[in-house]
Amino acid sequence: MRLYSAFSEETLRARKLLADWADEGVLTKTQYERLAQETVSDLRTTNIFLRLILFLFTLICVAATAGLFFKVFLSQSSNQTTGIFLLIFAVVCYVAAEIAASQAHLYRYGIEEALVVCSVGFLCGGMQAALFSGRPYSPKPDVIQCVVPTAGLAFSLWIWRRFGLWYAFLAAMIFAVFLSGCWTSSPSAQRVIVGLLYVIGLVCVIAARSGLEHNEDDYAIVEPLLWLGIYLAINLQLSSLSMRAQWLGLGIRSASEFPRSFYWSTWVLIWCLPLVVLARGVRRKDRFVIAAGAMLAILTFVSNKPYLGWPRHTWDPMLLGILLIGTAWLIRSWLARSPGAIRRGFTSARLSGKDKDWMNVGSVAAGLAAPQSLAPTRSAEFRFGGGSSGGGGAGGSF
Amino acid sequence: MTILARLDRWKQEALISPEQHSYLSGLCRREQVSLFLELNILLYAGVLAFVAGLGWTVSTWSQQLGDLLVVAVLSTLLAACFWYCFSRAPAWSFAETPAPTAIFDYVLYLGSLVWGIELAYLENRFHVLSGQWNFHLLATAAFFFFLAYRFDNRCVLSLALSSLAGWFGLTISHLPFHQDTAYRRFALLYCLLVGIGGVLLKQRSLKPHFFGTYLNIVANVLFWALLSGVFNRRGYGIWFLALLIACAGSLAWGLKRREFVFVAYSAVYGYVGVSSILIRGVYDDTVVLGYFVITAVAMLVALILIARRFGRAA
Repeated sequence: MRLYSAFSEETLRARKLLADWADEGVLTKTQYERLAQETVSDLRTTNIFLRLILFLFTLICVAATAGLFFKVFLSQSSNQTTGIFLLIFAVVCYVAAEIAASQAHLYRYGIEEALVVCSVGFLCGGMQAALFSGRPYSPKPDVIQCVVPTAGLAFSLWIWRRFGLWYAFLAAMIFAVFLSGCWTSSPSAQRVIVGLLYVIGLVCVIAARSGLEHNEDDYAIVEPLLWLGIYLAINLQLSSLSMRAQWLGLGIRSASEFPRSFYWSTWVLIWCLPLVVLARGVRRKDRFVIAAGAMLAILTFVSNKPYLGWPRHTWDPMLLGILLIGTAWLIRSWLARSPGAIRRGFTSARLSGKDKDWMNVGSVAAGLAAPQSLAPTRSAEFRFGGGSSGGGGAGGSF
Repeated sequence: MTILARLDRWKQEALISPEQHSYLSGLCRREQVSLFLELNILLYAGVLAFVAGLGWTVSTWSQQLGDLLVVAVLSTLLAACFWYCFSRAPAWSFAETPAPTAIFDYVLYLGSLVWGIELAYLENRFHVLSGQWNFHLLATAAFFFFLAYRFDNRCVLSLALSSLAGWFGLTISHLPFHQDTAYRRFALLYCLLVGIGGVLLKQRSLKPHFFGTYLNIVANVLFWALLSGVFNRRGYGIWFLALLIACAGSLAWGLKRREFVFVAYSAVYGYVGVSSILIRGVYDDTVVLGYFVITAVAMLVALILIARRFGRAA
């Protein structure tokens, strides 16, 4: 099923690790140069910036080509004809991506990625236009409408397995959300369906991961995505439209949108899930899963008060901040107190040069982002609004 | 062949020492897992949440709490942060210096943000600067530059650069004449000032690792300013020429220094600028779409050639 051979991908992975170890000073320059000769992969890859712009220009090229084709040849055609040609475009894009990957050995190169993304878009657009154009809109669920999201889901999963692109799996998860809307109009039932679909996916991923030892890059991001998806499906305060509106102060009352027992069951679950995820992450020593667990825990703290219907206070973010800082500080101290600063295989020390790069980029971005919201407006009625102060930090209206 | 098998072979062939083999195999088997990045993100999120809550509380409850209490709390927090930083900072050096403690950078960041809140509060309540917010921003920028260089902190450096940009922007808002043009000119002046400052500091080996931060900020501000000129209905020729020169410079720098983010800047900003000129006033969809097909293919070919020649190693 996989387009690339395991050997080629493993060689590429080994090459990246060598570069990282050399950056960290674990390998000498001479050693790195010697070992790099042994990790020459047949796959053609590029750096992240070129990958991104190659992706962008391929998207522009494909979209403009399709637009030009329809403008020149099919400007007067029916929706069905347009749909059929969109499906043909989907096939052409997919075949081009396969050729780019298998013949030109492009690997995370931007071009083949944009082509598969376009093929998913054309497939869904084409099916919608060919099968459902002209049908009157109905708010009622219609099982036949699930053809498009099902096709999108299946095709995205196929691309994920075939090309190993994690965001194709994310696309499949999004299609699963649309799928639930075709079966029922009940918000609770929709959430249960989405949650169940994600749970099935999670069980499959966990089963697949248990058979793997170390080369599990395909699943490394997919598992935390599924945990996050399950959490979002069950956290009614984060993902319910009316409740988001209430959060934003739009005046919509929260609701009776959900049955009482369902509402409180999800409240219990949003407290349990972060613990389960964190426990699994720690047990497997999986950084992505640990990060997902931490994120879920923070989201639970943030959404707990609205869940309980308690009023939020201006100092709540301060308490959350103190909790986060305190947790980080305690974990770090706890790890540092053990011999060799390693406890149960975990350390707070940096082991990879990539972490330093991320920190450098993140710290510059954080510094730039913080004051964006604080440039003071020059108005006569300007009143103090919490650090509307240039370099300050707190936004004028958080 | 897995990485573990490779490590075994390299050890047998004496390409790596047994100690290196043991350490690297341990990393691959996850015998050691680093939580460095996660803990730092947690600290950063904590500081940000705390400051957001602090600002929100002060702005909401300042009347009830009273000026004295608010200023006392903010000043105490500020003093505590800076006392911590100054008491624990290592001796100053021209070169890159690691933070003395794990939380040092975050205490400094917290102090910098609290400084902003306190200054804004004082100005708003007591009109220390008589409403001259731009001086407030300039003073803040100067103070942040000092902190960034004293404690070797990129985050505070970018706060300083943002505050300086804010000062330029606010100064323009006081000017009576046409503001778009003024913003553009001041943006160029900002780029010139920051760029020359960055180069001079690098040449004097004063925290040369900050140079990348200067360069990235200058490049983005410069390209935005030039693009805004290119989008003008009239008098865009000079801005277009300047954009082409900037793109050429960015491309040459990126390729020479293997910093491909500058190649990306020149490709994206350049494409947007050239496209806005070439398809300006063209209302025929076929021509516009044809333009995008041809130019996107041309860009792809050029980028593939660059990627094949330079891109892989970086």
